[in-house]
Amino acid sequence: MDGIWELEKGRLVKGTVGSRKTRLRKWLRSERVAKWSPFFVAESFILFLSIPMVLLIYLAFTRWRITFGPWWMGRFAGFHNFEVAFVDPRFIDALLRTLYFAAVAVPIETALGLGLAYICDRPFKGQKILTTIFLLPLMTVPVVIGYNSNMLFIREGPINQVLSLITLSEVQFGWLSEPFTAQAAVIFSDVWQWTPLMFLIFMSGFSAIPRELVNASKIFGASALQIFWHVQLPLMRPIIFMAIVLRSMEALKIFDIPMLLTQGGPGNATETIAIYLFRVTWEHARVSSGAAMSFILFGFTIIFIFICIKILKKQRLQVIQQAGGR
Amino acid sequence: MLRRLMRKYKVGTVVRYFLLAAWTAFALIPLVWMLSTSFKAAEEWVTWPPRWVPENPTLVNYRALLGMEQVEFFYLDQHGERKSTTRPGGTAQFFTAVNALKNSLIVATISSFIALLIGSALAYSISRFKVGGERFRYMLLGIRMVPPIVIAVPFIIYYATLRLTDTHLGLILVYVPTSLPYVVWMMVSFIDEVPVELEHAAHIMGANRFFTLRKIVLPLAASGLVVTFMFIFILNWSEFLLALTLTQSEVITLPVALSRYQSAAEGKLFGPQAAFGAITTIPVIILAVFIQKHLVKGFSFGMVRK
Repeated sequence: MDGIWELEKGRLVKGTVGSRKTRLRKWLRSERVAKWSPFFVAESFILFLSIPMVLLIYLAFTRWRITFGPWWMGRFAGFHNFEVAFVDPRFIDALLRTLYFAAVAVPIETALGLGLAYICDRPFKGQKILTTIFLLPLMTVPVVIGYNSNMLFIREGPINQVLSLITLSEVQFGWLSEPFTAQAAVIFSDVWQWTPLMFLIFMSGFSAIPRELVNASKIFGASALQIFWHVQLPLMRPIIFMAIVLRSMEALKIFDIPMLLTQGGPGNATETIAIYLFRVTWEHARVSSGAAMSFILFGFTIIFIFICIKILKKQRLQVIQQAGGR
Repeated sequence: MLRRLMRKYKVGTVVRYFLLAAWTAFALIPLVWMLSTSFKAAEEWVTWPPRWVPENPTLVNYRALLGMEQVEFFYLDQHGERKSTTRPGGTAQFFTAVNALKNSLIVATISSFIALLIGSALAYSISRFKVGGERFRYMLLGIRMVPPIVIAVPFIIYYATLRLTDTHLGLILVYVPTSLPYVVWMMVSFIDEVPVELEHAAHIMGANRFFTLRKIVLPLAASGLVVTFMFIFILNWSEFLLALTLTQSEVITLPVALSRYQSAAEGKLFGPQAAFGAITTIPVIILAVFIQKHLVKGFSFGMVRK
């Protein structure tokens, strides 16, 4: 019987299998296919998501609007859209404002999450139910959070009532009509939603610290503060880094909450980059400008992602070493 | 008396319980307020001082949302005139949540299921054979980090060409790759915990790979699968930006339908909004309570000791 040359275990051997169909079946059953098929399926989905990136570049360099007819009719515009983007003060402002929100919200969330995880680390009565309650905001749909905050911060809302009780005077303040307080309201809602995530991450961090270490320090007469500062915090360092990195990434995407809480107002005081891009592309229908701005944003995030992943890799390695080598 | 109390409870404990109580209040107030408002009739939506417990609790908001009755809402327009409407937002479909609820269920369930299927198979390959290497895992995470608005802009022409705008399939095709990174990262940590030795033993006894997967790996990783599914279901259920930009009128998901109230010309319809919020949030919270115990593990990045 005429054999066919086929590859088996990296070597060319004379196969004995005749028909194409059986060979195909054999190949499909082989280890290599089983190993790699999920990889390729996942990869094809990712490819589906990457094609638009090519279109994004195309759009950024052409002059096209929805009213101009089919998209391939767009005229080449060179760097025109980029020039428009870079002299657009609203674009730059929105970009800086997003960074500002992240820079204020993330440290607050980290500090609160760390404090809360520290308090909840030692067992106490009702720990289970309280942990569940603390995690509820994380599970709340962000759009709903935007709404709820809107109801809370109105002139006749409960926030003013609570403040009235604390200050013993009638407080009826329109939080959402002043730029600064509107920004504070956005940050407040963001903190409300995301502190639980930090809490969750730090909880698992604290639970990973060996009890013997803490107990030993206690026997040597260290105070709770000293233990926290000199024993627990250094061991938590990598996980804190990772939490901050993960959270900052999400913080830069902020869209749902300001969109529903203030719609970017008053004026543009709470307009984040995602909201501005949405406005430009969908509400003003300046698709090409939107694409150029998205492309710039994409460029920045790529750099940011690169740095983030570097930090994550390094810190995760440290965490695994800590957990493994005791 | 006070002294005895103080001796019994140390200052630290008191401070701790105080902080815990404060945070519990902080976490619960917005949700409680939402629930309370959802049972209020229009007269009680805005009052001073605000009422925490509705005086005349009513189910009218829920009934309206579920399409059980037509409700007339009164509001003041820009000129301060009193008007009423049965269709906030201009069209009938904004009024009921039924359609949006259906769409959200379809899209979130199917996309989470597909992502779970592909993602856990991939996680198995990564965990056992190091497919793609360490770099691939981080690349996946990188996908998740790209702001959705950047992905959304070119989709205007992409989906227009593919005729996927405003379809279930279109949303599902986007949600699968965006939730894959979480599936892979969570499932890898769950599969890593299934001892390889068991698989080797089964292999030696002559079991093929499929049998090993079904009888050994699957039962041991089952809880992980459930947790991961629920987690990405919550993510896809609450996704807003992509759903807002990739759909127009047919396939409106819950968050998008909810956001239409805000742009409604009639002003604030707090009651139906709150009821809508409750309908959207409560299923997710029920899911979350189930997986809460396992979430700590999912977010530990391979750090929790056994």
